[in-house]
Amino acid sequence: MAESTTQLKSDALMEQMKLHMSTDAGKQLTKKIGLVYQINIAPKKVGFNEKSFVVDLKKGEVKEGTYEDGKPDATFSFTDEDFMKVATGKMNPQIAFMRGKMKIKGSISAAQKFTPDIFPKPSKM
Amino acid sequence: MAMRDLVSGGAACAMPGSSSSSSSNPLGALANALIGSSSKTQERLREIPTATATTSDGNLYTGLEQPFAALPGSEFEHTLHPNAQGSEFLQGFRSVDQNRFADAWDDIQRPQIPHYQGMDGLTNLPLEQARLQQGFDGPPQRVLSSFLHSFLHSSHGSIPFRPTSLPVLGLSEGDKQCIRDRSSIMARHFFADKNEDFIHSQVNALLSSLDIDSNNIRARSPIPGRYPELEEYWNESQGLKPGRRGPDGWVSEFTQHRAAHDDPNLWAQSFERQHGASGWASEFEHEQSQLGSIDQMRGSNIANLAAREQTRMLAHTLAQNNDPKFQNSKFLQFVSKMSRGEITIEDNQIKPAAFSAPGDWATEYEQQYSGGQSWANQFANEQANEIALNQSRTSFWSLNSFIVQLSHGPHGWANEFASEREQHGLAENEWVNEFSKLNVNDWSEEFERQVADGTLGDTSADNWANAYDEYLNEQAAVKQHSDTSRGVYEFSDLNPYVGHPNPLKEGQELFRKGLLSEAVLALEAEVLKNPDNAEGWRLLGIAHAENDDDQQAIAAMMRAQEVDPTNLEVLLALGVSHTNELEQAAALKYLYSWLRQHPKYGTIAPPDQPENLYYADVARLFNEAAKLSPDDADVHIVLGVMYNLSREYDKAIEAFQTALKLKPRDYSLWNKLGATQANSVQRLFVAFQALDLKPNYVRAWANMGISYANQGMYEDSIRYYVRALAMNPKADNAWQYLRISLSCASRNDMLDACDSRNLDLLQKEFPL
Repeated sequence: MAESTTQLKSDALMEQMKLHMSTDAGKQLTKKIGLVYQINIAPKKVGFNEKSFVVDLKKGEVKEGTYEDGKPDATFSFTDEDFMKVATGKMNPQIAFMRGKMKIKGSISAAQKFTPDIFPKPSKM
Repeated sequence: MAMRDLVSGGAACAMPGSSSSSSSNPLGALANALIGSSSKTQERLREIPTATATTSDGNLYTGLEQPFAALPGSEFEHTLHPNAQGSEFLQGFRSVDQNRFADAWDDIQRPQIPHYQGMDGLTNLPLEQARLQQGFDGPPQRVLSSFLHSFLHSSHGSIPFRPTSLPVLGLSEGDKQCIRDRSSIMARHFFADKNEDFIHSQVNALLSSLDIDSNNIRARSPIPGRYPELEEYWNESQGLKPGRRGPDGWVSEFTQHRAAHDDPNLWAQSFERQHGASGWASEFEHEQSQLGSIDQMRGSNIANLAAREQTRMLAHTLAQNNDPKFQNSKFLQFVSKMSRGEITIEDNQIKPAAFSAPGDWATEYEQQYSGGQSWANQFANEQANEIALNQSRTSFWSLNSFIVQLSHGPHGWANEFASEREQHGLAENEWVNEFSKLNVNDWSEEFERQVADGTLGDTSADNWANAYDEYLNEQAAVKQHSDTSRGVYEFSDLNPYVGHPNPLKEGQELFRKGLLSEAVLALEAEVLKNPDNAEGWRLLGIAHAENDDDQQAIAAMMRAQEVDPTNLEVLLALGVSHTNELEQAAALKYLYSWLRQHPKYGTIAPPDQPENLYYADVARLFNEAAKLSPDDADVHIVLGVMYNLSREYDKAIEAFQTALKLKPRDYSLWNKLGATQANSVQRLFVAFQALDLKPNYVRAWANMGISYANQGMYEDSIRYYVRALAMNPKADNAWQYLRISLSCASRNDMLDACDSRNLDLLQKEFPL
């Protein structure tokens, strides 16, 4: 239930991601990737008013907040808009990175597995 | 893997922690060939156990003489045959032991292969022979050098090397040991495709010629006594893979183990410890300036041969890379050409000539060298994830430079070696040491770090390069599209309906027939003609939405709303499109407007529009409205959209189902229900009713694709995306999703077709 002061598109996508993790395809992801990503989403500018999500592809969970069981394999920072672009395949993660629209901390090999196919695509009405 | 091979030198390259980290690149190989070498039987050694460098004793060679004229087919026949100047010198050393060696020779002679075939294009054979011949008399250093060059040559074309007699070289015990070790290692690289016996006979021939005890060759691994460090490192490296300790295993083991290879520095370090490091670079420059032209000719030929041998191995390794893109790459073609001797590299230019000036090489080498260093530094930086793309580009160019360096290296080295010999005797060990350390280890080490992960394997450079190309394309595209993103309608070019007498009517007709893309054009013509036609804009917006283009739909609907702010259909459409785009605030605003503008429900909403809309408030109002008139399909539709917005999918499904009972033939409603169901539990999108009612409903086809992709059924999703795109090639989302599905389905072969939007090919490949 969104009380709707949050206006991040990423919220919606992360919500879908939660559902996605319970499906077979979602479970495949944990097998295929098996890494923990933390994703920091800023409404307008990277680093400001960030909201963090943990996409735990080890356990198959998506949670709000920062990762607390150690260090995530990679941490990404985006603006809301850019995260959506990456997650829906509008922007290639490498391009996002080159343009400075995606900041990465952590292992680069883990970061390389962060691809748009991780995220479910919303069907449209 | 392939990249690493380039670095460390191909099929039989660098070995873990032990002696031959440089041995299979031409530089190292030549170094090995020239330094590490020499001769003779145990017996001989016992006789003169303390021979020192610079001691000359012609008598030592009397036992090694060859039956020169009796052995056709060997490349060395020419060099040793007493038919030219210098032959008298050689003849002077004929041996009493002739028969013994003749037998030995016959043994190794059996796998005779016609020599030098196919090499004439590159090496001028007669010249070469003459030069080598000259080389065999003269000062001992020169003789040794020539002799070792000959050995090196024997690796091309797999010609058995034959023992030969040489004047006394006065090698010290240490030199001999060194030569023995290095040559036996190196031989394994040269003759990696041969069996052990062949290698042994080759090495034995070399060593006996040089009067070196070869008894240790088979059990080369632990070199007793004199090189404790090396022995230690050897054991260490052997310990990496217990169970395969025999020397027979190590070449192949090593080949398999390149990826896991441990520490190429160990060897260099141990070597350094023994011989001491020196300011190689400056020394080299110094030497280079003093260098006469005596050795230039020979050196460059050797260099080319060595480079070619190297590239042959490279080409072989590269050819094993299965990436079709790589297979077709110019780089690979280049390398194979070079390996076939079709081209050579001189002074950074590719040409068929064979000689180059050593001075040029020296300066160039220095450039290469400093370039390599900065490159290595950059590579280290990549660990920090900076300028990743440039990295990969740089690495590629460094690779090229490295190849160039490889081909130049032996040449310069040979020159330098010869001149240094004249001045410093056997001091060149240090040089080799330095050289291999500086150029091979740094490079390979850095690279190794890159490839070690595996994620940055063969194709990563490609990926990044592609990404860069995409980036450039995108930048160009972004300029064009920069103002379309938010609410500015983008008209098609070359609209055939412009000038049509009644484009609105035409557009409505086309829309009814389900020809959405055509309808869009007609309607665009209409709104160009009559920019204030709200119906034109509205229908245009709907056509775009059904064509799966929400951005354009929103832009058109906003124009419609400007003209007619109270049109309920427009407000609902805007609410839906913004919901699709996950733009909650905007969606909420329009849906609330819908309620306020509705003649029946407008009174429910408070008269003044609140500054901030809260979802819960709006939802409450809609529930009231639904209670007020439960038979109004529209209110249930809006409610369903509202629940989608809050991701209360069950309630949304319920609302849509209620609406469908009232409006069973609304295809867009069926699609809304299907999309909600697909989003709710990520199950398959079922909207056959929608497609029955409207076969060209691009959005529904795309939704099918999306739901298949979300299930991980990428192959199926591709077919639906392609179907949707065949109906509307402008559906950018579908193109993006198609691209994702193609890579997930490992159909990278079709990515080009996707990027170039080649629908014919895609439809052929993925029929539905």
